[in-house]
Amino acid sequence: MRSPFDSEQEAFRFVIVLILALAAIVLAVAFGPAWLAYVVVALVPAGVAVHATRLRMRSLRGLELPVKMAPPHVGGADERRVLIVANDALAEESLLAELGRLAAEPQTHVLLLAPAVISSAARLTGALSGPMEEARARVRTALERVGHERVVGGEITEAPPLEAIEDAFATFTPDEVIVATGWEEGAGGLEPQLAGHVRDRFAVPVRHLVFAPGSEAREPSLDTERRYRDESGELAAKRFGLKALAGAGIVAAVLMSSVALIHSSEKTEARAASRQAAEQIAALPPVARSVALAVHPEFKPGPEGEKHDAFTVTEFSVRAGQPQQLRIDNYDTVPHSITSPGAGVNIVVMPGIHTYTLEVKTPGHYLWFCTFACDEWAMEHTGYMSGYITVS
Amino acid sequence: MTTTGSTPRERPVSLKPQPWRWNHPRVLVEHPDEKLGMEIASGLRYAGYAVAICPGPRGHARCPLTGPAGCAPAHDADLVVSSLALGDDSAREILHELRTRYPQTPLLVEVPSDADAELRALLDGCHLLSAPATADQVVLAVQRVAGAPGDGDEAPGA
Repeated sequence: MRSPFDSEQEAFRFVIVLILALAAIVLAVAFGPAWLAYVVVALVPAGVAVHATRLRMRSLRGLELPVKMAPPHVGGADERRVLIVANDALAEESLLAELGRLAAEPQTHVLLLAPAVISSAARLTGALSGPMEEARARVRTALERVGHERVVGGEITEAPPLEAIEDAFATFTPDEVIVATGWEEGAGGLEPQLAGHVRDRFAVPVRHLVFAPGSEAREPSLDTERRYRDESGELAAKRFGLKALAGAGIVAAVLMSSVALIHSSEKTEARAASRQAAEQIAALPPVARSVALAVHPEFKPGPEGEKHDAFTVTEFSVRAGQPQQLRIDNYDTVPHSITSPGAGVNIVVMPGIHTYTLEVKTPGHYLWFCTFACDEWAMEHTGYMSGYITVS
Repeated sequence: MTTTGSTPRERPVSLKPQPWRWNHPRVLVEHPDEKLGMEIASGLRYAGYAVAICPGPRGHARCPLTGPAGCAPAHDADLVVSSLALGDDSAREILHELRTRYPQTPLLVEVPSDADAELRALLDGCHLLSAPATADQVVLAVQRVAGAPGDGDEAPGA
């Protein structure tokens, strides 16, 4: 397979950019917000796709150029070098006869090139040995049949036929090319469209010999060659379409995997946060949803032995933002209060039994006291007409 | 060189395609007639030149030489032979681009005897050849302009 890159440096740059892009995805997924991860995941495959398309278009432009090229002739003016490209046609007697005839001509050198016919699936899986061995056996048999060891050489290659021919032009420098194929593309055979491609690309005479099994070689008519050319265009378009489809599938798979990765990461984070919150809540002291208490005048003895006004409960524990019901029985004939400016609480406790709601938004430890004039000493001492609200 | 004998050898796969795979001297021939172009190519090859034959804009929707992509064979050519019909505007545009982009590259142009003043001005500094020229005449003119390929040139594909 030929690299789509112009140079090793270009390929190296592409690999570096790809690694950096993948690192950007991983970093965005691991540390960035979800939207950034989505943006990076969308941009990276898009960038890779654009780059691949540019490489492909450059390659297509190269193929579309109507320029034919050829190397200088090598050897004396009377020498002739003939490249024969064949695979399954090597089994045909008429081709072997033509090969023998050429080899017998003076000052003629012949190279028999057999590109192994390898399917895309075999290239993908690396199962090249079978087709290569077939091509090797065919060339060996042909060379043994023809003889003329001094002027005939044989080569097999795993490269696509056109690329193999291009390479042969760089080393063998043929003055003429003979492409031997079947009438139609078949298993194990070279495409009949190959001859047209060689004519389009190289500025040397190209003969196309077509074989039907067991019969003489013929050269296709202009109409047939035109049909091959049209079919070749359709075939190339079909192959490009299939490759584009496969590429789109790969990009979609990468995108879906990345999105799944991000979602999985988000879910993991959410689960961890939820677990942490649950643990924190479990660690908090328990709070009651409702508390019953009373206010009694001259109820609780102070340190000096006298009895003072007092709430029977002066320490309240609540959850931030969660209301707690206070059922207060005020035995006094005047109102009292639970007032805490820091907690934003001011509950006026009327005589008799009433229910009140204690709710604080912000966690903290807040002092409360009664603001109604009653027992002055008790109003200044916690545990009597003062106390604390603990909000967790 | 080819390997002879009854044992086929395995051809290594090239990983680095280039427009010109052969060393100097390289001649790009722009000729609208395919048959005559191939004759010129053959003559130049046997004279020791690597050749590229282009049919000109007729064989292509728009010559890449006149676009941003440029033309790789023209870029690396040591000599350009233009046998395009210069009565055509696109042929003159190509000639102009060649003069502008590659002022150091010798340009051998087949010129009709009735060239107008504008064309003569465009051809100033070019090597001229009377149109129509045969393949042998083109080869001789190339040898006159570029010189015969020297012994110092590297082997093809080296």
